[in-house]
Amino acid sequence: MNVAATTDDTEHAERVGDSPSPGRPARRGMGPIATVISVFGELLITAGLVMGLFVVYSLWWTNVVADRAAGEQADKIRDIWARQDGGSGRGAAFDAKNGIGFLHVPAMSGSEILVEKGTTSKILNDGVAGYYTDPVKATLPTSGRKGNFSLAAHRDGHGAKFHNIHKLAKGDPIVFETKDKWFVYKVYAILPETSKYNVQVLADIPKESGRTKAGNYITLTTCTPIYTSRYRYVVWGELERVQKVDENRTPPEELR
Amino acid sequence: MYGWIWRHLPGNAWVKAFLSLVLVVAVVYVLFTYVFPWAEPLLPFNNVTVDNQ
Repeated sequence: MNVAATTDDTEHAERVGDSPSPGRPARRGMGPIATVISVFGELLITAGLVMGLFVVYSLWWTNVVADRAAGEQADKIRDIWARQDGGSGRGAAFDAKNGIGFLHVPAMSGSEILVEKGTTSKILNDGVAGYYTDPVKATLPTSGRKGNFSLAAHRDGHGAKFHNIHKLAKGDPIVFETKDKWFVYKVYAILPETSKYNVQVLADIPKESGRTKAGNYITLTTCTPIYTSRYRYVVWGELERVQKVDENRTPPEELR
Repeated sequence: MYGWIWRHLPGNAWVKAFLSLVLVVAVVYVLFTYVFPWAEPLLPFNNVTVDNQ
């Protein structure tokens, strides 16, 4: 026992005596292999941090930026509408660049979604829904013609305006607000998963939804499953009625 | 790598820590404003439209 204790002590003492020195000389004397491994390890850690930051960027920061952009554009359009209503003048202010109206989908999101022309990422990244101009041209409800009002928006990031599209059920209202009309649509068909090449869903008569006659349809498309872009999620609605906007812009009963 | 940066920053430990923080913020800023917006369309996470491409 005693002997063991003594040896232990000496060893310990030796180690303690050594320990201040390894710190510095070891680093200076790190061999080339050790240096390479340590730099490689640090690069891996850095890569992990950058990927983590990219997730933060995609799911949070793009929303901040997009909501700001969409809010500004929405204010502008409300402004233009108000000025036109003032009667001061020129109706020329219909500017597709600023958007054409607002989508209200109470089952999906509590806030309004600005609708603009086009579905390029430059437009959709502003936190808006875009109507298709390519590959199939959307028919605007304001045109008065029968056809399909096809829209796309982000599921995640960039405002994530269609994030809760899966919460839409048959019979839920989709209301499109323009300067002087409320277009009230009702959801009648849902396609939870389809190929991203399936442009048929945008057709004037979307056959996959079960309709065979021309009508006033609305189509919402976004990506699915959440956080990926593997498939597309499609929701179809049909125009139920059109309501005039009154001077207080009282929303239709579906939105109250 | 990080050790090398730390050893080459001037000043005492506090100054070094502050400068490191500034560097980190600068890197994050560059990533968020230039690198990620550039990389995003190249990655298959956020395509929402149906098309022929």
